[in-house]
Amino acid sequence: MTALKKPRSIIQPVSFCAGCGHAIIQRLIAECIEELGLQDQIIACCDIACSEWSLDALDYDFIAGPHGRIAAVATGIKKVRPDKIVYAHAGDGSSYVIGLTETCYAAIRDVPITMIVVNNACLGMTGGQMNLATTLLGDKTSSSPYGRSKDSTGHPVDMLKLIQNLDVQFAARGALFDPRHIEETKRYIKKGFENQVSKKGFSVIEVLSPCPTNWNLSPVDAMKKIREENTKVFPLGIYVDREERGTGCG
Amino acid sequence: MDDKYVLLKGNEAIAEAALRAGCRFYAGYPITPQSEILEYMSANMEKNGGVFYQAENEIAGMSMLFGAAAAGARVMSSSSGPGFDLMQEEISYLSSNGIPAVLVNAMRYGTGDGEITAGQDSYWLTTRGGGHGDSRQIVFAPASVDECAQLTYLAFDLAEKYRNVVIILTDGAVSQMIEKCRLPGRKEHDIDQFDWTLSGKPLGAKKNKLNNMTNIIGHSDYQKYLFEKYAEMFENEQRWESLGVEDAELLLVAYGISSRVCKTAVMEGRKKGIKLGLIRPITVWPFPRKAFEKIPDSVKGFVTVEMCVATQLGLDVELTSKGRRALYSYLTGVNIPTAEGILAFCESILSGKQKPTEVF
Repeated sequence: MTALKKPRSIIQPVSFCAGCGHAIIQRLIAECIEELGLQDQIIACCDIACSEWSLDALDYDFIAGPHGRIAAVATGIKKVRPDKIVYAHAGDGSSYVIGLTETCYAAIRDVPITMIVVNNACLGMTGGQMNLATTLLGDKTSSSPYGRSKDSTGHPVDMLKLIQNLDVQFAARGALFDPRHIEETKRYIKKGFENQVSKKGFSVIEVLSPCPTNWNLSPVDAMKKIREENTKVFPLGIYVDREERGTGCG
Repeated sequence: MDDKYVLLKGNEAIAEAALRAGCRFYAGYPITPQSEILEYMSANMEKNGGVFYQAENEIAGMSMLFGAAAAGARVMSSSSGPGFDLMQEEISYLSSNGIPAVLVNAMRYGTGDGEITAGQDSYWLTTRGGGHGDSRQIVFAPASVDECAQLTYLAFDLAEKYRNVVIILTDGAVSQMIEKCRLPGRKEHDIDQFDWTLSGKPLGAKKNKLNNMTNIIGHSDYQKYLFEKYAEMFENEQRWESLGVEDAELLLVAYGISSRVCKTAVMEGRKKGIKLGLIRPITVWPFPRKAFEKIPDSVKGFVTVEMCVATQLGLDVELTSKGRRALYSYLTGVNIPTAEGILAFCESILSGKQKPTEVF
């Protein structure tokens, strides 16, 4: 049995809340990068908000973009340094709400970057307010204190179904609620990096991720909620893999 | 610099000079009266080995620019009116990280949609703007197509020298006019020239973390760094042209298209015995205070000539003259001023029929 080793890219601890999925995702990103031998050619992009905690934790050149603009920032970097591996790690508020335009047009342009979107069903950094794209109907947040109502706020949207129509290289959704799904998520993230190595197009991996602090749940109950509720609105699996010409659950 | 003259539009001269300065990334969104810059880049950027993007909006275009400049490229974007409003967010981010970029604001007139024709009423936005937080941008105000080319070329060097945003502030007239122009020589920019860029370095090498610079060097050092940088830019980068100041009775102050008309007014006035002079700021930030250090006793007042509703340039003149002379503003709004109008206004000042202008 091999000993579990911390990726060398992680050089200091970070301040994610207890039970936060971002830390698992950050580790998966670093593991994928090192398993593919890409650790010496990374330019990393994060959004302001929770993903920004990775900026100091990882030993990569790093930029924090204006909120929501990370796909556009990463586009600019990749076009200037096409031989480097450029990834974006951002939240669902950034990627799907305030920056939906930037995300969609990076996808439409098929920019060869790897985008990891953390779907934690709220706006985490600012205190867990409703996320227009991902908060489930009925869920209470600090800005939907009576539960999200479709009448006034619309409904959560499976954005991978939208991106599916934009002719991208790869789009998949994973989750973190048990080791099997963490491994599956890791395979998706790795695929996203492999696509960039082989000069293919835009890859997006969305990850259903717990936010126990803002959900007012224990870490275990937060994972349970994802498994039992969030996956019903946001089905897991591969939506697009241009290589396979196949679609999964989308 | 090429010796021969070519005939170009102001917008084309800006775009060509940028390419010759080694600009290899342009992203922007069309808006009149600057769209020829974007179109010129669409036709010529890839030929020069660069990247052109027509962005989905100005915010996205500026965000691409932010990334491209952080990766080490010389970058440019351009806009006008409401489009320039949308660029403010990223000007603030560029400032926050000390990332150089050259931007163009070709002013159109009015609030809201306004007009697509020339205006000078985004002076405050451009010289005092820069989004949230406390930043200063070097702002050039070319008054000819030739100057569009020369100042754009210089702008890239200054942007890198100070790690700062530099803005070319034109108007619908200067951007659209066609006249002779000399083009600067071609140079290439090395994206690895500076050590602050994102270059994708190996593990263990010192990395660049482009975040708020405050997070990297602390608030106290950041404040000192910025203050000293802005003070240095203010001291060293003032540029202006003076005409007939020595014996002037009234000193016109104008930039861009209005300053061209003012030159005619100075000549025509002197034929009629009205002694006018002109100070033409070439940088509007830093405002050329040095040009106002030795104002002869003959000068009875300053007259700003601007395409505004209420004076904007007048604020800088007041700050500079510290009330030592009366301020008058000849404001033509949507219309380009005429030499006859300027002369009539000056005559009425000299005959005591004009009250000094209040800046508010």
